[in-house]
Amino acid sequence: MTSRRLAQGGLIDRSRPIRFTFDHKSFAGLAGDTLASALLANGRMLMARSFKYHRPRGVVTAGASEPNALMEIGERGRRDANSRATMVELYDGLFAVSQNRWPSLAFDLGAVNGLAASIFVAGFYYKTFMWPKSFWEKVYEPLIRRAAGLGRASHEPDPDAYEKAYAHCDVLVIGSGPAGLMAALAAGRAGARVILADEGSRLGGSLLAEREEIAGDSGFAFVAATLAELEALPNVTLMPRTTVFGWFDGNVFGALERVNKHVAVPPAHEPVERYWRIIAKQAVMATGAEERPLVFGGNDKPGVMQASAIRAYVNRYAVTPGARAVVFTNNSSGYRTARDVLAAGIDVAAIIDARDGGTETHAAGVPLIADAVVTRVVGRERITGVNVLKGGATTADRIEADFVAMSGGWNPVIHLSCHKGDKPVWDAERACFLPPPSTPGLIPVGAAAGALTLSQCLKDGSAAGARAAGLAGFKATSIAVPETRDDEPYSIRPLWHVRQSTAKAFVDFQNDVTLEDIPLAAREGFNSIELVKRFTTSGMGTDQGKLSNINASGILAEATGRTVPEIGTTTFRPFYTPVSFGALTGAFRATHYQPVRKTPLHEWCEEMGAVFMEAGLWLRSAWFPKPGEDWRAAATREVMAVRQSVGICDVSTLGKIDLQGPDATALLNRLYCNGFSTLQPGKARYGLMLREDGFLFDDGTVSHLASGHYFITTTTANAGRVMSHIEFCHQALWPELDVQYVSVTDQWAQIAVAGPNARRVLERVIAEDLADAAFPYLGAQAVTVAGGIPARLFRISFSGELAYELSVPADHGNHVARLLMSEGSGFGIVPYGVEALSIMRIEKGHVAGGELNGTTTPEDLGLGRMVSRNKDFIGRMMGEREALKAGNRDVLVGVKPVEPDHQLRAGAHLLTRGAVASLDNDQGYVTSVAWSPMLRQWIGLALLKRGRERHGEIVQVYDDLRNSRMLVEVTHPCFYDRENLKLHG
Amino acid sequence: MAEMASQTQRSVPLGAILTAGRYGAKGPDGPGVTLRLRHPLSIVTIMARKGRAEALAADLRDGFGLALPGPGQSTTAQDLALRWAGPEQWLAIAEGGRDSDLHQRLTAALADTASLVDQSQGRVAIVIAGPRARAVLAKGTAVDLHPSRFRPGQVAMTQMAHVGIHLTQSAPDVFELLVFRSFAESLFEFLTAMAAEYGYEVGSRE
Repeated sequence: MTSRRLAQGGLIDRSRPIRFTFDHKSFAGLAGDTLASALLANGRMLMARSFKYHRPRGVVTAGASEPNALMEIGERGRRDANSRATMVELYDGLFAVSQNRWPSLAFDLGAVNGLAASIFVAGFYYKTFMWPKSFWEKVYEPLIRRAAGLGRASHEPDPDAYEKAYAHCDVLVIGSGPAGLMAALAAGRAGARVILADEGSRLGGSLLAEREEIAGDSGFAFVAATLAELEALPNVTLMPRTTVFGWFDGNVFGALERVNKHVAVPPAHEPVERYWRIIAKQAVMATGAEERPLVFGGNDKPGVMQASAIRAYVNRYAVTPGARAVVFTNNSSGYRTARDVLAAGIDVAAIIDARDGGTETHAAGVPLIADAVVTRVVGRERITGVNVLKGGATTADRIEADFVAMSGGWNPVIHLSCHKGDKPVWDAERACFLPPPSTPGLIPVGAAAGALTLSQCLKDGSAAGARAAGLAGFKATSIAVPETRDDEPYSIRPLWHVRQSTAKAFVDFQNDVTLEDIPLAAREGFNSIELVKRFTTSGMGTDQGKLSNINASGILAEATGRTVPEIGTTTFRPFYTPVSFGALTGAFRATHYQPVRKTPLHEWCEEMGAVFMEAGLWLRSAWFPKPGEDWRAAATREVMAVRQSVGICDVSTLGKIDLQGPDATALLNRLYCNGFSTLQPGKARYGLMLREDGFLFDDGTVSHLASGHYFITTTTANAGRVMSHIEFCHQALWPELDVQYVSVTDQWAQIAVAGPNARRVLERVIAEDLADAAFPYLGAQAVTVAGGIPARLFRISFSGELAYELSVPADHGNHVARLLMSEGSGFGIVPYGVEALSIMRIEKGHVAGGELNGTTTPEDLGLGRMVSRNKDFIGRMMGEREALKAGNRDVLVGVKPVEPDHQLRAGAHLLTRGAVASLDNDQGYVTSVAWSPMLRQWIGLALLKRGRERHGEIVQVYDDLRNSRMLVEVTHPCFYDRENLKLHG
Repeated sequence: MAEMASQTQRSVPLGAILTAGRYGAKGPDGPGVTLRLRHPLSIVTIMARKGRAEALAADLRDGFGLALPGPGQSTTAQDLALRWAGPEQWLAIAEGGRDSDLHQRLTAALADTASLVDQSQGRVAIVIAGPRARAVLAKGTAVDLHPSRFRPGQVAMTQMAHVGIHLTQSAPDVFELLVFRSFAESLFEFLTAMAAEYGYEVGSRE
């Protein structure tokens, strides 16, 4: 193919060739190229196939708005779909593949869709694939999705690292063109902390793409000098390759930094992308303007490009799209392109100006055809010419050319200024939408604010930088603005589409929305621009209509006899350009998805061979298998050892709260439904907390350590919620109480010591008298462990055995657990896990999470007598409601399969024997199950309608979800040692 | 009776993952940050009794020569530091110390004006210092740590990697993170991952 690289000029490094592949063919580009410029330099104009009609497409832009040249970049887990070739910096080994074509880009079978284009109009899918209804999900949608698609997501894990970070500044300058550079310099010189962020690989914005003179030198030279000064200022941070994608409350800006997207593999230890939250006192939005395409026949053919993009390729990348240009414009921009193309030694066949004639400096020797339009681009994959129709004429003239520069005017890039919901304002003179009139915290400036000449951008930028610094509290004045020459006045006459075109003209390239689709939508009744977007898909996709939206509004205005400001725009929402899921996830994936909490006994549990389970964020020891044991064998052995002798269990995950103060007892009385006035120092009591609505919230123990000093435990699952509840109650409901409380969950390693020999083991490590008389059931006291460790001992039991909980400061946990194991070896002491703990509590009919499930009252669970009648407490009033007192509630029972080897499952429903399985007949459900080592069979706890009256009844268990039905006997919920003889042992 | 427990049998938090050495990128200027554990420490939560904050301040001044720091502040005198930790709540911190020594010392002086709770082993203190310490911390916290905004002695209660932390600039460019013990390993792993691009050194425990 012909090389389209110009012999000189550009910001590319001709001494550094770079090899890359596109569709598995090897190419060479130069350092400083984008993938798009390198492909153009190689004469590759065809870069993609369109979404719906599979039409051949080339690159249209040189920047972030590119709708066509979307590619898959990278291989395997690094593959990024829908990457814009205009934003991909070239690097050695870059691997790019075109999308949405089969079998190849040059020969795409899908292009037959184009032949049937007249039936594939907007709304076609909605109307055509309605019947039969069942076909949509299984047949139509998969077919359509395969045919009309963009790139493919990689299904392999991304090997790269992503991270998030916060930045703070006085002035954030977004965009580093002439306005942004001046703003950053003005604010920077005033001493403000400045961040200058720009999506480009190098800073300079439009100055890198134009041939304008500043202070007697090139724009490039001005950029270099300004950046040198900014770099030298310690209060200025430059952030190239950083797209500010959203403006949020609190003047927080979201930004994506492409840290290592310009290399094949990020250097070791470096992230590939960094997601920033930039908290700015003030921001200057110097985001520039986007050139509008014109809507005319064949305007999507490869080689039809934004006039400004052609300047960027010629001036910055020293690449020409072809050998002979034709310019179609309705404003000044086309003239500048003609001049720059000519200056690069490339032919310009003509300037076709839709206006009667502009006042612009005309490019010498180029024919100007005023009051004329291009009706059609001729040629298939390569353009051969255009048909031009002059005002009043009836036949078009052919002008030969192989690329087309088009300019329909400028759209200021106002996205960020609209992210908080404010509407942009139409400017008739410049035929564009400007930022909302008031954007506190954000100052739009330069082309983004409608300033379309270089001198104005420099001047306004300087003023905006000074103003932003001033608002941020710095003494700042505008800085001197360098001189420029020959500002071209901007003049435009809107041209929303070329009426005389009969060939297919595209409004939205990425979504293949044609000129006909928009009036069609209006005729169907979708005449608001938001509805037109949904009906036609114009403005959807990865570019979100950056090129198409305003033309669509203009066309809709004409079709419905309204004005463009009456039509308005669709809603601007973050993200300005796509942000990868990797960046949104940051470092929080795989094992770091959420933090892991480890108990102070974790090390000891590992030594004992624990299998861990996740309980919320915690890792808890579930069971301690011996060789050859599965979970059930291990848990069964652990239960037997505890019931027969002694075992120890890590219960450090229980929530623990230290409560003190003169009103501590009063607080407890209000928080819990049972009373604490009679709880003497040295004693513990089981407590029930209700929610305001009268249902059970949490249970735990309260120990009175010393007068006015309590130690509260909560369930593991509710630890945080109970703490928040106490804080709310104290701060909002009873601020008059003199109480102080703080979480001590992490301060204490807590070890349950349970079994008939529990006391004997503890007596070997604790000096204090533990005899039943001295330290009876529900005792709570400070003790000293191993002669020196200050500890607390509580005689409480979840297993139903003689049991204690021993609290030692966290650092001592592992040591004390080891000590208990060695001192208990003579008793056959075992470590036991959550599984054994759970089995034992079910055997005893003690409630836990399955029963404290948010729908139960104390009465439901047989704990009604704990509810005090003598005081007020949270949940008392609402707990008196009729339905909570009704006799037909589901209440706690035990269930036992009639066939002992049948396995019960939690969640299974209960039916009266012989009843049909229906919602009306539902009698309740199973809440917890276990295989009981003591009963040698499966047992369960359940909530059963009028259950207390039904002990002895045989009911059906219905569990079609897991294909299980059986008969069970309803029993008392306590299966083992109902007289609590062992507890007091 | 079992043998006397010695303080040397205490477990060290992060023990499983804290290995002194040089990690991450190896630049010519040495590691960007150093990370180390402060252990053992004595830490006590001081909560003023209702309406007694001024009396508490007087007790601390008289008994320890320490001013009660305001929100976001800390004070130090000789071997004791006070760090603000929420409304009417402070952390008293001292080096080393056997179990509950500091708690007993403070209780003797402050029992009438404050509730005191020993947290020495419930919190883990990770110290991060070095030229890139702020850059590492900025990957986790929304607090502005610029030298002009967050000065030595200032404290902040914030979040890092989904974990609540208490952050102090304990000396110029030296930051101390107090974290609930159960979360310490997760937080440390996050910090090392974020520090890897600058290179980091894990120091021996102090």
